[in-house]
Amino acid sequence: MRLSMLKGGGAVAALGLGMALTAGAATAQDTPSWCGPNEATLALLDGFGGNSWRLVTTASGKQEAEKCPSITEYFYADGQGDTQKAISDINSMAARGVDAMVVFGDAGPAVLPALTNAYRAGSVVVPYRVNVGGEAGRNYTRFIGADFVYDGESWGTWIKENFPDGANILFLSGPAGNSQGLDELKGMKNILDDKYTFLNPDPFAVTNWDPSLTQQVLSAAIAQHEDIDVIVSDFGPSLVGALPVFKNFDRSIPALATSDGNSLGCFWHENQADNPDFKLFTVATGNDNVRLAVQWAIAEATGGTPPEAEIFEAPNFEDSTDGDPSEVQCRDDLPGAIYLSSQLSGDDQAKAVGQ
Amino acid sequence: MADTTPQGFAGPSGLSSIPVAKGFATIVVSTLGLILLCALFAPSAVTAGSLMGSLPFAAVLGIVGLGQMLVVQQGGFDLSVPGSVSLAVVIATHMPNGNDAMLFQAVVVAVGFALAAGFLNGVMIAYFRLNAIVATIGMNALLYSAVFAISGGVPRITTKVLAAIAGGQTFGIPHSVIFAVVILAMVSFALKKTVAGRRFEAIGANRVAARAAGLRVKRYEAMAYMMAQLLYCTAGVLIAGITREPTAFQGNALLLPSVAVVVLAGTSLLGGRGFPISVVIAAFFLNQLSQFALSIGVPYSAQTIVQALALVFGIGVYSIDWTGRFKMKTKSPKEEETHETFDA
Repeated sequence: MRLSMLKGGGAVAALGLGMALTAGAATAQDTPSWCGPNEATLALLDGFGGNSWRLVTTASGKQEAEKCPSITEYFYADGQGDTQKAISDINSMAARGVDAMVVFGDAGPAVLPALTNAYRAGSVVVPYRVNVGGEAGRNYTRFIGADFVYDGESWGTWIKENFPDGANILFLSGPAGNSQGLDELKGMKNILDDKYTFLNPDPFAVTNWDPSLTQQVLSAAIAQHEDIDVIVSDFGPSLVGALPVFKNFDRSIPALATSDGNSLGCFWHENQADNPDFKLFTVATGNDNVRLAVQWAIAEATGGTPPEAEIFEAPNFEDSTDGDPSEVQCRDDLPGAIYLSSQLSGDDQAKAVGQ
Repeated sequence: MADTTPQGFAGPSGLSSIPVAKGFATIVVSTLGLILLCALFAPSAVTAGSLMGSLPFAAVLGIVGLGQMLVVQQGGFDLSVPGSVSLAVVIATHMPNGNDAMLFQAVVVAVGFALAAGFLNGVMIAYFRLNAIVATIGMNALLYSAVFAISGGVPRITTKVLAAIAGGQTFGIPHSVIFAVVILAMVSFALKKTVAGRRFEAIGANRVAARAAGLRVKRYEAMAYMMAQLLYCTAGVLIAGITREPTAFQGNALLLPSVAVVVLAGTSLLGGRGFPISVVIAAFFLNQLSQFALSIGVPYSAQTIVQALALVFGIGVYSIDWTGRFKMKTKSPKEEETHETFDA
């Protein structure tokens, strides 16, 4: 018996070795074009890493970097929402001589001087998603933005299809004056004409992307407006706590155009039967923006071919009206705070958010 | 509310009864005025549905405010509100992870953390005489480290039972409101009708005299911080139930309002008597004020200004001794000059 176990073990080991070899060969074959031959080190710098969206994004960035065997070392630093720490993280990575940096510059232009110094010291510097000011080639290598106007246009198009005769829209975004919300509004206005009325104070209802403030703002809005046809929000999951407020008014949850989230998808499945007007349309919440930034940084640092896109455009994800590109998704066996639109698998995301 | 404070501690009862009347009357009149304003200019802010949506948050603020009041009564300040509320939210959602059977244990653990934090605060401030602001701001950082250690900053979804207990309604009344009313009754009774409560207020009014009278001043002062933490913890667990998917930083928005309601309720920042019912009414007032601002559709900047003005109004009415000011004015010509320049 022992012998057979040993044999079995040997067989497993041999099989494992074989698989490892095949995997190795596969990696060599599948090395993406953006991964060049020169070895380099890469750092991912977050301005604030303490929520599920960021954890999924960080894991996505790491996964993308792992596709390139030329990356010898990978670092990560979390600014913890502290601008001073974010700046010192950038400086210390530059001092360490990291070849490429991908930076989520939450503090905006405040981190620009540190980025500029790192760039002048010879690192490839790729800020992404949050505009840090400055210009490519002078302050950093390239800025990989997200096209929030495009998000707004996607929502606008969907609203126009589903409400061809006009609609009353309630648009919720984050902190007052945030550029993401302003761009999204611009996108919607590119598509929607005067038949569509925005019920919120111009430019959007301020929620700070905080679920409890969203709940307060929404209950005030519902009480005030009897005819909300569509709610547009750039952070769908923050609505989950607030939408049941409609029940207090004996009204159906209206149509919703937003970004995806597992908890939101599951909420739709639980509530759509009782709420005849509850249609749901989502765009991808954009975790994969980091992948594009990582590809650019690695291509520049290793001598690979940079990707064609410079701006991340979030694809449409779910549409409950026609199931195109997907029906509303829900994985109730996984945490609510993950994003099924992400390329990172649901199970890997669950691992990333520590559940 | 009869004034039973011994004269030696709170001054002649004739004088000290004036602020009670003033504080309570002012906040009630302001609140009624606000409701009237809402009815006239923003009727949607006082509909049943709107109140159902906003009252739970007023209730939570009221409970946090009661905790802050206890600390302010001892002449302190508790800046650990955000940390302790967030920690309670995180424990109540993370430990059960959607499993109702684990909810009770989670609440027990949250209470345990609250007692430990309160004990540390109390010992540092009452026994080692650390400055309350410094000690509690340090405690806040410590509590936030626990928040991160437990959650990593990731929210989890509330269990169904907690959502039903904290977020549900009975006879159309949100449960959180019932919680707030019961807690208000308990705090009022303990403060106003028990020997310990009377001593607590007396110590807040005058530590030296209280010590001379043989009261255990330090113990009472430390208790203020422990009780306050218990109230923050209750508020945190309620938030976890009211908000289906709370963030890990849900307490952040409560610090300033918690001080504001205590001030609006007429509690002296130097310590002394507390007015629990006024605190809860002030919480309703502040909450209704933001609902009013939302309903008439004023921009966010204006909403913030309105809340700040309410706070200034509160401090202006209670914290400045207007009669004393005017007396000084007639006595000293120098003082008069400065006042004139301010007026101009």
